[in-house]
Amino acid sequence: MATPEQQLPPGWTAEWQQAHERYLFIETATGHTQWEPPAGPAPPPSESTPAAAAAPAHHGKRRQYAAGQTQAYYGAEETSMLQPMSQPPPQPGMEPQLFTPGLAAPNQFAMQQQASGQPPYFDPSHGQQQPDYLNGPQQPVYPNPNALADQFGQMGLGGQKPFSLQTANLLTSPPDPRELSLPPPEIRLPPNATVTPSQFANADSSYQRSTLNAFPNTSSLLSKSKIPLALVITPYRTVSENEQPVPLVTDTVIARCRRCRTYINPFVQFIDGGNRWRCCMCNLSNEVPQMFDWDQTRNQPGDRWSRPELSHGVVEFVAPTEYMVRPPQPAVYVFLIDVSHTAVQSGMVATATRTILENLDRIPDEDERTKIAVICFDVSLYFFSLPPGQTDPTMLVVSDVEDVFLPKPTDLLLNLAEARKDGGLENLLTRINDMFKDNSIIGSAMGPALQAGFKLMVPIGGKIIALSSSLPSIGVGALKNREDPKILGTAKESGLLQAASPFYKTFAIECSRAQVSVDMFLFSSAYQDVASLSCLPHYTSGQTYYYPAFNAARAEDALKFAHEFGEVLAMPIMLEAIMRVRASRGLRMSSFHGNFFVRSTDLLAMPTVATNQGYAIEVQIEETINAPFVVLQTAILHTTCYGERRIRVVTTAYPVTSSLSEVFASADQVALAVLLANKAVERSLSHKLEDARDAVFNKLVEILQTYKSSMTAAGAGASAQLAVGENLKMLPVLILGLLKNVGIRQSAQIPPDIRAYSQALLTSLPAQLLIPYIYPTFYSLHNMPPESGTVGPDGTLVMPPPLPLTSERLERHGLFLIEDGQTIFLWVGRDAVPQLVMDVFNLPSYDVLRGGKTTLPLLENSFSQRVNAIIQKTREMRRGVFYPHLYVVKEDGEPPLRLWALSALVQDRADVLPSYQQFVSSLKEKVNGNGGY
Amino acid sequence: MTLAWCLTGWLFLFAVLMAAALLFCMVFFIIMFSDLECDYINPIDLCNKLNQFVLPENIAHAFLTILFLISGQWTAFILNAPLLLFNANKIRNKNHMYDATEIFRTLPGHKKESFFKLGFYLLSFFYYLYRMIVALIAESE
Repeated sequence: MATPEQQLPPGWTAEWQQAHERYLFIETATGHTQWEPPAGPAPPPSESTPAAAAAPAHHGKRRQYAAGQTQAYYGAEETSMLQPMSQPPPQPGMEPQLFTPGLAAPNQFAMQQQASGQPPYFDPSHGQQQPDYLNGPQQPVYPNPNALADQFGQMGLGGQKPFSLQTANLLTSPPDPRELSLPPPEIRLPPNATVTPSQFANADSSYQRSTLNAFPNTSSLLSKSKIPLALVITPYRTVSENEQPVPLVTDTVIARCRRCRTYINPFVQFIDGGNRWRCCMCNLSNEVPQMFDWDQTRNQPGDRWSRPELSHGVVEFVAPTEYMVRPPQPAVYVFLIDVSHTAVQSGMVATATRTILENLDRIPDEDERTKIAVICFDVSLYFFSLPPGQTDPTMLVVSDVEDVFLPKPTDLLLNLAEARKDGGLENLLTRINDMFKDNSIIGSAMGPALQAGFKLMVPIGGKIIALSSSLPSIGVGALKNREDPKILGTAKESGLLQAASPFYKTFAIECSRAQVSVDMFLFSSAYQDVASLSCLPHYTSGQTYYYPAFNAARAEDALKFAHEFGEVLAMPIMLEAIMRVRASRGLRMSSFHGNFFVRSTDLLAMPTVATNQGYAIEVQIEETINAPFVVLQTAILHTTCYGERRIRVVTTAYPVTSSLSEVFASADQVALAVLLANKAVERSLSHKLEDARDAVFNKLVEILQTYKSSMTAAGAGASAQLAVGENLKMLPVLILGLLKNVGIRQSAQIPPDIRAYSQALLTSLPAQLLIPYIYPTFYSLHNMPPESGTVGPDGTLVMPPPLPLTSERLERHGLFLIEDGQTIFLWVGRDAVPQLVMDVFNLPSYDVLRGGKTTLPLLENSFSQRVNAIIQKTREMRRGVFYPHLYVVKEDGEPPLRLWALSALVQDRADVLPSYQQFVSSLKEKVNGNGGY
Repeated sequence: MTLAWCLTGWLFLFAVLMAAALLFCMVFFIIMFSDLECDYINPIDLCNKLNQFVLPENIAHAFLTILFLISGQWTAFILNAPLLLFNANKIRNKNHMYDATEIFRTLPGHKKESFFKLGFYLLSFFYYLYRMIVALIAESE
C-alpha cells in the first residue's frame, strides 16, 4: 500500500500520529500542520475515478436526503468518495486518486476569501466546485492567515502573544468531528516554572484538565469572559499497556507544605541551597525532609532530581501510618441478587451467578483477605452460610423484612480464598439459579436487602453490588410506580427524576459514613424508578448500570451484561478514599459535581474510588492573582485492595493572564462541554428540564456575545458572521448534542427510567466517554479508505475518518456506523447491493436482513474482517467497562429503532429540535441582539 | 372591656416570649451554618441536629399566628401570614428538612433564609413588646 509520504508535494512531510491514527501533514518550511493531504502537483480533480463511475445512481438519489440549505455547508457538488463493495481490493496506485477530488480545494477556498473579503454563506451561483468536506479546509489552523493578520492588527493583538486567538466564523465553517480528538489548547507556562525539565510535569489532560488553560488574574476578568472556570478530573483511569504507569514513591518520605498541606510537586522552588523548598501555592518556605535525598533501598545518598514527585504531574505515594484512621481493611463484596419471578425468568440470576463464578479469579485478592457474601431477595431475604470446612452452603430465610436482622452472627461473610478452598463458594453460585428456578414470588424487598448487606459489612466497609429486576415493593425504600405519560414533557417531569423516597438518600449517607459503596445493576422491562435507585451509587461513589428489558435468551444481552459485570468485579478496588483539591492562593473550589458525598467545604468522601469516573469542580477566583502561574492539585488518599494506604496526587499548573483574548484562546471546549453537562443535569433536578436547557443555551449565547463584542471588529453591532475562537469551534455543536441528549432533550416520549440513566451517565462519565455520548461518532463503512479497518504502521487499527453527524451523509446504498460509546448502530441503506449484505451479514439480500440487536458474523472476506475489526476497536478504544450493543438498523426497518439511530445524528432536525444550521442561526440572532436579549 | 384588654396584654406577653425563643432558634441555625462552612461540624451531624428544630420552629410560629387570628389581632396576623404560608408551602413540597447530600449546594439559600427569619423575628419581637406595653397602659388607665 502506498504511504502518504510518497505522494506529497515537495516541502511536506507526513508523520503518523498514533493518538489519532492518521497521518499529520507538516509543511517543513513553515511548520504548518494539517490532517488533510496537502495540495500540490497532484493529478487534477478527476471525476472519472473508477469508484465514482461504479455508482451511477448515487448522485441523483442522495439529494433526497439533503435539505437545500445544508448544501451550503458541505459543498453543492460533492464528489463521490465511494468505493463499492463489488470492487476488487484497490490497487496501490489507486489510493492517491481517492484523495484527488478536493486536493486543490484549500487554495481555492483561500482565493475566494481574499476576493470577497468574507466567505459567502451560501452562494449557489458559484459555478466552481466547492471544497469537499473531507478534503476541505477544515484544518486546525485557519487556512487564510493573511486575512486574520489584518483582523488581529485592528484588535491590537500581535502574533507574539503567548496565545494567538484565531477567529472562525461558525456560519461558514461546519463542525469537523476530528477536532474533538485534538489535544486541549497548550498550557504555556513561563520558563523555569518547573524544577525539573520534565515533559510530564503537568498531568496529562486525561487526568485533569481545566476549562481555561490560562487563568484570568481577577474574578472580574473571568466574569467578563463569561466562560465558567472549572476542573474536569478523572484521577483514576485505566492505564493501557503501551502507556507509562503512574510512578510510585515507595519510601514514605512525603514532603508537604506546613501551612496549606500541599504535596511537593514539580512546581515548587528549592531555596537556601536546596535545604528548604518554597510552596508553590502559599509561598511558605518549608524544610526538605531529611530522608528526601536518601535512597532507602540501597541505603546511600540518592539523587533528588530522580524523585518522580519532582518530575511527574501524576504520582502515587505510599502513605505511612499517620495517614491511617484504622488499619487497612480488606476488600468486601456483598452481592444482593434479586431472585423474584421476573429476575429468574429473564435469565438475570443465571447470568449473574455464572459471571461471578467465572470471575472469582479476577476479583482482587492478592493477600487472601477479600471477603464475599451473597444475599438473595424477593419478598424475603435468603442468606447463605458456609462454615469453614464445609462444602454445602446452608440457606437461611428471613421473611421479616420490616426489622431486618442477620440470622447468624458468623459465616455469612466468607473469606474468598477459604470459601473457595473446598469449592463451597463455587457450589453455592452454581446452585443459586436452580434453587430459585421455580420461584413464582413477585415483589422485591430491595431496601431490606440493602440494609442486611449493610449490617453484614458495616464494621469493615466495602462494596455492595445490587442486581435487581423489579421495582422495590416491600419494606423500607418501597417505591410506587409513578410513571405517568401525561406529565412527560411538562414542567412536572423533573419530579420523576428525583428520588421518590428519602430512604435512598439517608441510606446513602449511612453507607458513606461506614465506607460502603453501592453499585446498581438494573434489569427491569417495566418501570423501575432508576431515578431513586441511582441515588445510592451517586452519593456512595458507585455506578448505575441499566439493561432495560434484559433477556438472557438473547446472546447479545447476556454477553453485554456478563462483560460489564465481569469488568466491574475485576476492577482494582480502592477503599476508604477522600479527595481534596488544593489550589494557589486566590482560588477556591466552589462546587462539586460527580458521584461522591461532599463531607465538608472541600472534602469529598468516596467509600471506594471508581475507576474511570469523571468529576467536575468549579473554581472561584477570590482575590487578584499576582503569581505568573497557578497550581491546582488533586489528592486522593485511599487504601488499595492489598491493604496499602496510598495517596494519588495529580498536579497541573496554568499560566495567569490579564488579557481577555488569551482567556478565550485558551478555553478548552471539551472540558466546557463536560462541565455544562454536569450543571445541566443538576439544574434539571432542582428546577425544570426546560430551565436546564435554557441555562446551557444562554451560557453559550453569553460566551459568543462576549466574544463578538470584545474580540471582533463588529463590537456590539449586528454582524453577518458568528465569530468564535478556533479552539471553541466545536462548542456549539457539542452543546447542541447535549441539548439533544436523552437526559436533557425536549420530548414527551422518553421514559423516565431511560432519562434518569442517561443523566446518571452524564454526571459520571469521564470526558473521553462523555464527548462521544453527546456527540456520537459516525463512519461511512462502504466507502472507507482502504487502510481503514486494517492495522496501521504503528500496530493499532486505523479507523475510518469520522463524518459530521448529519443524515445528508447517509447514502441509500451505503453501510454506516454510528456509535456513542453506549450503543453502536450499523445503518444499512435500502439500496444496499446484495454483495455488501452478503459480505457483511452472510445473507443473500437486503430484504432478508433483520434489524435489531445482533452479533456480526466474522466471514472469510476482507471487508467483513475490517468491519468487525472496526466494531471491536470501537468497543475497546475507550476506557471504562461499557460494552456497547450492536444494532443493525435498516433504512426502511421498524420506525422506533430507525428514529433512535437517527436521533444520534445531532446535526439534523428532529421534531421540535433544531438542526445545526437552525441552531447556529438562532445563536446568531441572539448574539446580534434580535432575540430579545 | 378590661377583660379584653387584659387578654391582649397576656397575648402579647406570650408573643414576646415566643418571638425571643424563635430568635434564639434562628441564631442557633446561623451559628451552625457558619460552623459547617468552617468545617467544625460535618454535614450529617448538622442536618441531624437542625432537622430536630425545623418542625418545632414552624409549629411555634404557626401557633402564634393562629392565636393572633382567633383573638382578632388582624395587624399581627397579617404580618405573620406570609411566613406561615411560606413554611406551609415548604412542608407541602417536602423540602423543609435539610438534606445532607445537597447541603453545600443549598447553603447560601439556607443562610439567606435564616437571616431573613432572624430579622423578621427581631422586628416582630419589638412590635409585640410595643403592643404589650400599649395594652398594659390601656389596662391601667
